[in-house]
Amino acid sequence: MENSTANNVVIKIDNVSYDYRSSSDEFIARGVKNVSLSIGKGEFCVLLGRNGSGKSTLAKLLNGFIVPDSGTITVNGIDTSVDESIYEIRSKVGMVFQNPDNQMVASIIEDDLAFGPENLGIPRDEIEKRITWALETVGMSEHRKRSPNKLSGGQKQRVAIASVLSMLPEILILDESTAMLDPKGRAEVMETAMRLNKEKGMTVILITHYMDEAVGADKVFVLSEGELIGEGTPREIFSNVELVKRAYLELPVASKISLELKESGYDIPFALTDEELAEGICKLK
Amino acid sequence: MQIKVENLKYTYSPKTPFEKVALDDISFTINDGDTIGIIGSTGSGKSTLCQHFNALIRISHGKIYVGEWELHAKKLNLGALRQAVGMLFQYPEYQLFADTVKEDVAFGPINFGKSKEDADILARYALELVGLDYDEIKDKSPFELSGGQKRRTAIAGIIASRPEVLVLDEPTAGLDPQGKKEILDLVTELKKSYVKTVIMISHNMDEIAEYCNRVIVLNDSKLLYDTTPRELFSDKEKLSLTGLEVPHAVRVKNLLEARGIVLQGTPLTSKEFVELFKGGAPCAK
Repeated sequence: MENSTANNVVIKIDNVSYDYRSSSDEFIARGVKNVSLSIGKGEFCVLLGRNGSGKSTLAKLLNGFIVPDSGTITVNGIDTSVDESIYEIRSKVGMVFQNPDNQMVASIIEDDLAFGPENLGIPRDEIEKRITWALETVGMSEHRKRSPNKLSGGQKQRVAIASVLSMLPEILILDESTAMLDPKGRAEVMETAMRLNKEKGMTVILITHYMDEAVGADKVFVLSEGELIGEGTPREIFSNVELVKRAYLELPVASKISLELKESGYDIPFALTDEELAEGICKLK
Repeated sequence: MQIKVENLKYTYSPKTPFEKVALDDISFTINDGDTIGIIGSTGSGKSTLCQHFNALIRISHGKIYVGEWELHAKKLNLGALRQAVGMLFQYPEYQLFADTVKEDVAFGPINFGKSKEDADILARYALELVGLDYDEIKDKSPFELSGGQKRRTAIAGIIASRPEVLVLDEPTAGLDPQGKKEILDLVTELKKSYVKTVIMISHNMDEIAEYCNRVIVLNDSKLLYDTTPRELFSDKEKLSLTGLEVPHAVRVKNLLEARGIVLQGTPLTSKEFVELFKGGAPCAK
């Protein structure tokens, strides 16, 4: 149905299943089951679902860490299960993980950024350019020659994002990259991701347990026990009370209040954010 | 058991170029039965303060009384103190180490001199108290468990020693919404058992507002406020000094006020907001 060139689809997942198996091929746990979805170029997508619902499995499938048991995944039209394409896929799909301390490989920030492109044999002056650009993009230029170990959590995650950017990816996956941060650090990382998406047209896939990080997304995918059980705009997803319950999600507080007021007879529209709720209340009567 | 902190001061790496004052002249009292939130931005001294309560950090200046214990005394029965004041660190599941859940949870009591039989009984009780099925889980490896189960196992490992005071350093960080709720409900449940006092560090103001009866605000190594959540979050001037977020319900109230609608009182949760809204018709300014 969808034409990947016409709709600018960058990621296409077609009926993909994956189970975790031991080295002796014993079944350990389900990863994902019969998942089909597509993501367009420049979209800001959020994956929601409780622990063990398959979010991280999906992320790992997207950059070829693991390949589907059945079904196909294409990134920019390239099949992730083709061995020869794996480096191309991985340089296109950058991943940032939860713990900022586990992702630094060098003791000086610029070396950390150089690590990826050096491995690909990129010329030195090109690497220099990339480092300058990437650090500027995440707002960490002044730390270039410093050690990462004195940085705050939010700053470390921004460096981790910059290190991924130095590979010039087209897709950025943030796998619970805000989970260990304080509110200030979270805001820094979210602001960086949003800016990359809006200003550089980067496709962003964000995995999170913070519902308020999902409200600004173009699209939300909801996973439960390995299956995709919902897909839509944040408003469509969160106003679907059944779905929210089934996936053990949490409603944003503003949504909760707007629904409860409505139930009590107030004529108030469904609100995603505190601002929307305040607007809605102001318009009452 | 009352905890009394008097003029506590702590400096990291004193008399070196890296000298940093972490706690500056802190005084306050925690009463029996309190669930007290310790809040403040990263680096404000929250964890340093809490590590004093069971003498993980020995006092250099000032005094702390924990019940009968004088933590500033030269001679201190550390074993008995640490049994009475249980401490749960950030991401406690990383500290699970034993082959089985039962052994892991029984480790504390055995260390505090209980016989193996008694320790097993305490482990069973603790695991049941945190809502895990003892018979189903006791022989499993802690590493087979889900994130929420691991954290509950870690909590069981602390409360198996029957502490009267429980110190929790960001107990819900990194959990999914369901896991968060389970841990917080568990804290409420525990307060009906031998745990009399809970001291909780959190960055989540919604949690602090809903679960704590008192709150201590640290700012730049100093105690800025010792108050109740409702008073703190009602006072915009106070808050603006701290850079802290406010609970969502308070935020909506403030947004409404800016639009000329005044709610009488400060709702801390969505439930309180709805009740307040329904109860007194908000009046225009």
